[in-house]
Amino acid sequence: MSIQHGMGASFYIISRIAVQVWPMPFKLKVPQDRIGVLIGKDGETLRQLQDICGTRIEVDSENGEATLYDEETADTYKAFRMRDVIRAIGRGFSPEKAQSLLDDDLYYEEIDIREFSGKSPRRVMQVRARLIGSGGKTRTLVEELTDCFLSIKGNTVAIIGDLEGLRVAKKAITMILQGSEHSSVYSFLERKRKDLKIARWGF
Amino acid sequence: MSEKWGICHIYASYNNILITLTDLTGAETIAKCTGGMVVKAAKDESSPYAAMRSGEFIADKAREKGISNIHIKVRAPGGNGPISPGPGAQGVIRSLSRAGIRIGRIEDVTPIPHDGTKPKGGKRGRRV
Repeated sequence: MSIQHGMGASFYIISRIAVQVWPMPFKLKVPQDRIGVLIGKDGETLRQLQDICGTRIEVDSENGEATLYDEETADTYKAFRMRDVIRAIGRGFSPEKAQSLLDDDLYYEEIDIREFSGKSPRRVMQVRARLIGSGGKTRTLVEELTDCFLSIKGNTVAIIGDLEGLRVAKKAITMILQGSEHSSVYSFLERKRKDLKIARWGF
Repeated sequence: MSEKWGICHIYASYNNILITLTDLTGAETIAKCTGGMVVKAAKDESSPYAAMRSGEFIADKAREKGISNIHIKVRAPGGNGPISPGPGAQGVIRSLSRAGIRIGRIEDVTPIPHDGTKPKGGKRGRRV
């Protein structure tokens, strides 16, 4: 109570000097086919996410817009990280994997395939296929050797991983996107595995 | 007024972190710190470790000046560059709240182009 009061007071004084525009509710686009996952069965997933961050999340299933309301919460940091969680769910991660972004030292990143392949949907499909590999071989190899999670969906590749792993995975993916042979990417990953081990555990 | 508020502007790119602590108007700088100030190797400037150290530095200065509550504005390079903040932003916010400073609101102020300029690299892309 006292905090909100204090904040109000300071804003009042400020508003004479400069107009302070405070954050509007944060809006995110979620693809049509991922809305169901975000909401969950009987709205369970969404309720769980709301409980964690303490803010209201509204999902419009008509146009696929998720709105994070900006309210005073106990944990603003978690509410901030919730953006990445929702983004990750929209990019094809399961809610469980996406929620790992909240507590651990994990980071989220998206790579646009079109930046490398050009706009043609057919070319995007070809590159996507190269990224996944036959029977998912390439994807699993990148995931296992860097301890990251990959999600390849539509025009983007999304990665969840720790700092070092994310860096290596990103490099490997850009190598494939730029047209490197698979074997050279595999050998790159094997080479980097040693460095990752040193960076993580110090030996 | 018992509780003083400040704004912490965080600019997190892939190469560095710049933190500026200002008063609520944003005109008066109270403290500033960068990744390069706390870490000596150029490659570590944007690391979570540098973020943590510089966050602690800012928290110290804030407490010295009697600021116990902070709003945060996070920014990535934006424009035609990356629009998601680098790994440092998370570290700064975490170390600030761990240092006992109340975090008010967190806002993303990355400049988003309404179609602006062409990314660097030319027509044939970056040639290595």
